[in-house]
Amino acid sequence: MALTRVLLAEDDADIQTLVRISLKMRGVEDVQVTENGEECLARLKDFTPEVILLDVMMPKLDGYDTCRKLKENPDTRGIPVIFLTAKTQHYEIEQGLALGAVGYLTKPFDPMKLYDQVVALVAWSNKS
Amino acid sequence: MIEYLDILDSLGSGLLALDLEGNIVFLNRKIGELLGVTPSRWHGRPGQELADYVEQLSGSVPSLRLELPTETGGIHSREIEWKSGEKLRHYREDRAALRDASGNAIGFLFAYHDISREKSIDRMKSDFISVASHELRTPMTSIKGSVDLILSGFAGDASPEMHELLEIAQKSCDRLVRLVNDILDLAKIESGQLKLIRVPTDITEIVVRSVCAVKTLADRGEVRLRVERPGPLPLVDLDEDRIEQVITNLLSNAVKFSPPNCDVVVELIAVEDCVQCTVIDKGRGIPEKDQRRIFGKFQQLSEGRKRGGTGLGLAITQALVEEHGGTVWVESLPNEGSRFIFRLPAAAGKPQLQPDPAS
Repeated sequence: MALTRVLLAEDDADIQTLVRISLKMRGVEDVQVTENGEECLARLKDFTPEVILLDVMMPKLDGYDTCRKLKENPDTRGIPVIFLTAKTQHYEIEQGLALGAVGYLTKPFDPMKLYDQVVALVAWSNKS
Repeated sequence: MIEYLDILDSLGSGLLALDLEGNIVFLNRKIGELLGVTPSRWHGRPGQELADYVEQLSGSVPSLRLELPTETGGIHSREIEWKSGEKLRHYREDRAALRDASGNAIGFLFAYHDISREKSIDRMKSDFISVASHELRTPMTSIKGSVDLILSGFAGDASPEMHELLEIAQKSCDRLVRLVNDILDLAKIESGQLKLIRVPTDITEIVVRSVCAVKTLADRGEVRLRVERPGPLPLVDLDEDRIEQVITNLLSNAVKFSPPNCDVVVELIAVEDCVQCTVIDKGRGIPEKDQRRIFGKFQQLSEGRKRGGTGLGLAITQALVEEHGGTVWVESLPNEGSRFIFRLPAAAGKPQLQPDPAS
């Protein structure tokens, strides 16, 4: 499978750039970037991504609450969510996956492998 | 003249004494304050009556439970939560037998120490670890990711000099990532936040996994890896990931400090009620004066620093082995190599494994 539309919620401008570049170089045409969970939810009114990448610590609405809201809404429940975060403690990973995310990638991530990791997780979630 | 009762009433910890039938023989002033009762009114009444009264006052919060120790020896401790007004407080309860001059048990003593402040500091430490880790990882991700992308050639060709400089940045960043991970690991162990998931395991499987993990490093240094298991081994109740971390750390150290064309051997044997794992190298060895301090934090020898070590690997190894109830030490002679040895207690009542003929 190939991804063409990805939505990112991340408050750090440098990480936004890094994710955008690493996905674009692998052929993702439309990488839309939002600054926090609230913006991410609002963007879904006019953009349907194939996957949402969520940071955890963000202002206004954090990644966990954003994921919870995405999974509560029948319109967005089916979009795979992957956490991309520096929260690496065992209980934090468990919390993220318990909210219905299909994957939990931790920072620092390898920008050369990010696309392949995201594709593998989305393919796995589609199968199951 | 100072009375003993005045001394006991001045203590910052709550004290409650019961006779062998469970009737109250003494409460100090502090426990009266904690429970919201007048001590003099309760003398001679059953301890359980006091416990029921307090439970009624504090509602659903588990409060005072006067469980009499079944044995009269030693001190038994547990942590309890106690609602004081609207505030939930944490106490450590110590229970011990009261004895007369001849050593006969005549009752029970309950002491309550307020540990709410320690609990709150633990929570702050845990929050600090989480936030510090997050705040360090985010900029490291940007630096490392950008350097990795440039070195991949994605943004055009870099001159050989630029390439060399970027490789320095990449290596230093990798080292920083390892350092942050190690600090986080050690902080978790030291603050009691590390949860071991222990299952009865044949340690040989873990050794094989570690050997695979360091094989590339060994190939690069032209070092051969060998596992020797001459006899049957009992199972060990261990956390697979954490013991793999221990063995991988010892193995990668052994490989890093071995000259080319040497063997690094992992020997597994049963000793008394333990499994002993020894990682043997033919490196330059460790002077006797340094053998104890290398398990300390940031105590690596200068050679280790040159090879990109964080100085925390052996401290983490020791902490993880001790969390499993084991011990670790080193035996080494200069210019003859080192033997890093750890022992873990065998799982109780588990059958012995058969020796692996292919070991």
